[in-house]
Amino acid sequence: MVMAGRAATVAAFQLSLLTSPLAIVVVLSLVVGLAMVVLFGYTSDQKAIGIAKDQLKAHLLAVRLYRDQIPVVMGSYGKILRGTGRYLKLAFKPLLYVIVPITLLIVQIDRYLGSTPIPAGAPFLLTAHFAGSDELNDVTLDLPPEITMTAPPVHIPASNEIVWRLVGSKDGQYEIKMAAAGERAAKNVCVGSDLPRISTVRLRGHFWERMFLSAEPALPENSPIESIAINYPDRNIDVAGYGINWIWLFFILSMIAGFVFKEFLGIKI
Amino acid sequence: MKRLCRAGALARLLARGIKLRDERGGQLVHRERRLFAGEGARATLVLLIALIFFPTLAHAYAGPGAGFAVLSSFWAIFVAFLYSFYALMTWPIRQLFRFIRRRNAYGKATFERAVILGFDGMDPDLADRFMKEGRLPNLAKLRDQGTFSKLRTTFPPISPVAWSTFMTGVNPGKHNIYDFLARDTSNYLPFLSSAEIKGPKRHLKIGKYSIPFGKTEIKGMRKGTPFWHWLGNAGIFSSVIRVPVTFPPEKFQGVLLSGMCVPDLKGSQGTFCLCTTRASNDKFREGGVRVPIERKNGVCRSYIPGPDSPLAAKAGTELRVDFEIRPEPGSKSARITVGSEKFTLKVGEYSEWIPAEFKAGMGFTAHGICRFYLKELSPEVEVYVTPVNIDPGHPDLPISHPVTYSIYLAKLFGPYATLGLAEDTWALNEHVLDDDAFLAQAYGNHEDRERMLFDALEKTKQGLCTCVFDTTDRVQHMFWRYLEEDHPAARDVPHSQHPHVIQDLYERMDRLIGRVMEKVDDDTLLMVISDHGFKSFARCVNVNAWLHQNGYLALKDGKTESGDWFEDVDWSCTRAYTMGLNGLYLNIKGREKQGIVDPAEAGALKDELRQKLDGLVDPASGTVGVTGVFVTDEFYRGPYTDNAPDLLVGYGAGYRASWDSVMGKVTGQVFEDNTKAWSGDHCIDPRLVPGVLFSSHKFIEEKPAIVDVAPTILKLFGLALPAHFDGKAWTLAPQRNS
Repeated sequence: MVMAGRAATVAAFQLSLLTSPLAIVVVLSLVVGLAMVVLFGYTSDQKAIGIAKDQLKAHLLAVRLYRDQIPVVMGSYGKILRGTGRYLKLAFKPLLYVIVPITLLIVQIDRYLGSTPIPAGAPFLLTAHFAGSDELNDVTLDLPPEITMTAPPVHIPASNEIVWRLVGSKDGQYEIKMAAAGERAAKNVCVGSDLPRISTVRLRGHFWERMFLSAEPALPENSPIESIAINYPDRNIDVAGYGINWIWLFFILSMIAGFVFKEFLGIKI
Repeated sequence: MKRLCRAGALARLLARGIKLRDERGGQLVHRERRLFAGEGARATLVLLIALIFFPTLAHAYAGPGAGFAVLSSFWAIFVAFLYSFYALMTWPIRQLFRFIRRRNAYGKATFERAVILGFDGMDPDLADRFMKEGRLPNLAKLRDQGTFSKLRTTFPPISPVAWSTFMTGVNPGKHNIYDFLARDTSNYLPFLSSAEIKGPKRHLKIGKYSIPFGKTEIKGMRKGTPFWHWLGNAGIFSSVIRVPVTFPPEKFQGVLLSGMCVPDLKGSQGTFCLCTTRASNDKFREGGVRVPIERKNGVCRSYIPGPDSPLAAKAGTELRVDFEIRPEPGSKSARITVGSEKFTLKVGEYSEWIPAEFKAGMGFTAHGICRFYLKELSPEVEVYVTPVNIDPGHPDLPISHPVTYSIYLAKLFGPYATLGLAEDTWALNEHVLDDDAFLAQAYGNHEDRERMLFDALEKTKQGLCTCVFDTTDRVQHMFWRYLEEDHPAARDVPHSQHPHVIQDLYERMDRLIGRVMEKVDDDTLLMVISDHGFKSFARCVNVNAWLHQNGYLALKDGKTESGDWFEDVDWSCTRAYTMGLNGLYLNIKGREKQGIVDPAEAGALKDELRQKLDGLVDPASGTVGVTGVFVTDEFYRGPYTDNAPDLLVGYGAGYRASWDSVMGKVTGQVFEDNTKAWSGDHCIDPRLVPGVLFSSHKFIEEKPAIVDVAPTILKLFGLALPAHFDGKAWTLAPQRNS
C-alpha cells in the first residue's frame, strides 16, 4: 500500500514536471531546435551559406590584420555589410519554409503559456468594443453564478467601449453572455491555476487577426460587438528566481539546442 | 507575441481610465485591426517580411535558423564596427607614436611600394628565348622599360639556400642554410636544415595513453634577419607570401604565409598515399606509401595514414582516417565518403580539398586537408591521396604570422595547399600520377597563390608585397625531358605528349605579370626575380661511388655497395663522403663521431679532392660532368660556417648528383642515366644557372646577385643598411633619382 502510494506520488510528481510550463518549454525547445535545424539544412544552400559565413569571418580578420591601414579597414567594413546582406539573403529561403509552421506553433503554444487563468477571487476586466457609440446604451451582461460583477460598468464613448470589473469565485471554464442591440455573443473565461487554453479576446471577422490573437470562433458578422477581451495576467516562468516570458526562454533554449544539433548534424546555419 | 501582450495591456490601461491611443495618436485596436484587414495574400507577405526583418517581435523568431542568422549577422557587424571604431580611433595615436619614434616611415622612400614576385627557377636563357619569340610581351615590356638581367645565385644554387640569401642579404655562412638537408655529425644521418620540430618532453603515462605536457617546440634553423623585419622596424608594412624557408614564421610588422619547408601533417616534406586493390609489396623509393583497399560487396574501404598519435604510449602508432568508395554502376565515377564529407569523383578527376581529422582520443585531433584523385575503378580500384596538408583554417602548427593570416586566407578563398613542396613531384616520379594529373595539381595550387597575391596587392598599397611561385620550379623539374630529343627520361614516352609545357608555363607567368602590372603605378617598384635558372638533368653522378672507387670512402668488409644513409660504410677508413645535392664532407676527427682526418690535414685533402674531381669526365659521352669543385672556406663567411659542407660539387649542364648519392648510398657506377620524370635541375655549378631579374625601373648594375635584393629594397625605402649585409644596393638609373 505504502509502495503503491509512493509510486503514485512519484508518478504524480513526474506528471506535474511534464505538465509544468518549464518542462513544456524545455521539451518544445529541444524538439523545435532539432526539427528546425534539420529543415534548415535540407532547404538551404549549405555550401553557399558556408562560403558566405567564411567570407564574413575573413573580412572581420582583415580588419584586425590590416588595422593600421584605414582604407583597408573601411573597405573590409563595407564588405562585411555586403556579406551580411548576402548571408541574410541565403538564410531567407530556408526561413520562408520554417517561418510559417513555427509561427503557427508559437501562436498555439502561446495560448497555453502566454497568460495565466484568472485566479479565483481576483478581480479582472472584461472589455467590449462596439461598432458605434449608440450601442453602448443597450448592452446587457449575463453572468454565470460563479462570476460576479464587483463594480458598475464604465462606458467610454470616445472609444466605443464598455469595461466591467468582474471576479470569479471558483475554478472552472465559464461563459459570459452579452447582448447588444438584440444581438447576442459570448466570451469564455478561465478561472483557476492550471494550463488551460486561454483566449484573451474574441473578435468579429478578420481571419488573420483572429488567427494570431484569438482562440475562439469569430463573433457574428452582423453583431454590433467588435471584440470582447479579458485582461488575463501574463504568465512568467520561474527560472533561477527570475520570472521570464516563455517566448524568451524558448528563444534561448531552442538556440542552444539548435547550436548543439547543428554541430552534431554538420549543418551550417 | 508583442501583439498578444498588447491585448492584455489594453485592458489594464482601460482599468486605469487611460485612453487607448498609441504613441502616434492612433487608436491601438483599430490600428491592429487595419493591419490585418487587407487582402489575405498581402497580409501574408507583410507578415513574412515583418517576421523576418523585425525579429524583436516574438513571432519573427522562426526557430534557431532565424536566431542564428540574425545573431550571426548582428555579431559580424557589431564586431566589425568595434574593430573599425578601435582602428579609426587609435590610428592617429599609433601614427603619432610612430612619428615620434621613427619620423615618417616613408619620408625617404623612393617608392611607396615594392612588389617582388619570385618565380622559382625561371631561367634567363629560356625567358630571353621566349621573349625574342614574342611569347612573353609583359616581361619584354619590363625588359624594355626597366631591367632584364641574369641574377647571380648562391653557392650552391638550391632554393632554400638562395631564398634565405634573398631575404637576409647574407651568404650561407651567416644564415646557416646550405641545402634542404644537413647532417648530424654524431651519426651521419640527415635532418631537415630549415626547422626542427620537437614534441613535448614530459609525458604522463596512463594505461594505453601517454599524455604530453608542454608545447611542441618548433625551432627555426635559418639564421639572419629577413629584410621585411628591418622594414617593419621602420614602420613599413609587408605582405610576404610563400617565400621559402619562412617556417616557422617569425613575428614582424606585416603578414606572412610560410612556404617551402612547411611540413605535412605527418611531419614529412610530403608523403602521398596510393590506395589500391592491387596487391604489391613494392615500396615507393621516397615520398609515398601504398595502402590496401578492401573490397566487399561492391564497397571499397581504405584509410589515409596520418601522423603518429601524440597520446599513444607505444611510439609510432599511426593515426588514420577511414574512407569509403562506392563505385556508381554504369558510370566511371564513385561516391567517396570521408567522415561527414561526401563527394563524387570521376576517373581522372581531383576532389576539392577535403578535411581529414585524425582523432587521437581524449579530445586531441590533428586537422589536415587532402585531395583525392580517382585513378581507376575497373578492374582494380586506385585512389591517389595528396600528402595531408596542415589545415590552414585550423592550423595545428603555426604556418603564418600572425596565426590568423592563414585562417583569413582560408576563409576568404577556401582551403589551400600549405605544404612547402605542395606539387607532388614524387608521385609523378613514381608513376602514381601521370603528366596531366600532376599539371592539374600544380596549376590548382598556382591559382590559389595568384588569388593570395592579388589580395595582398589590394591590401598593401604601401610597403612591401612579395610572393614566391613554386610552379615554375616544379614544372621545369618534371617536364624538361620534353625540351630535349634524347633525354633518357623521355625515351619511352610519346614525345608529342607535352611538347609545350614549359613554354606554356612561361606564357602563363607572363600573363600573371601583365595582370600585376595593371595593379601597380609608377610609385611602385615591380621586380620579378628567380633564385636560379634551370638545366637538363640527363645524367646522374654518384660522388660517393667515385669516392669509394678512389679510396676516400670505404665499405664494410665484403660489401661492394652501401644502402641508404651510409648503411654499409666503414667510417674508420673513410675520409670523405657526400650527402644532399652539392655538399661534400670530410670525415674530420673531433667533428664527425668517427672522424679520421686530422684537421691539420683537411686543407690538403680538400685541394686533392678538388684537383681530382674537378673536370670529371663522363666516360659514356666524353662530356665533363663536374665543372667545378669549390672549397667553402674560400667564400663562406659568418658564424655558421662550421655547419657548411667542406666542398661544393658543381656539376656540369646535364648532370646532377645521383638520386642514390643524395641519400648517402654508394653504388657501383659513378655515372648513370636519369630516367625519372624529374628531368631538369639546377643543383649544379652555380655559374651555369643564374636566375633572372626583371624590374619596372632601370637599375645600373652589371652583375646583380640575389644577395643584393635585400640591401636594394632597404635603400629604396630610405633605410640604412645593416653592417653585416654581404650584398650591395643597386643604383637606380638617373631618370628615377632625378
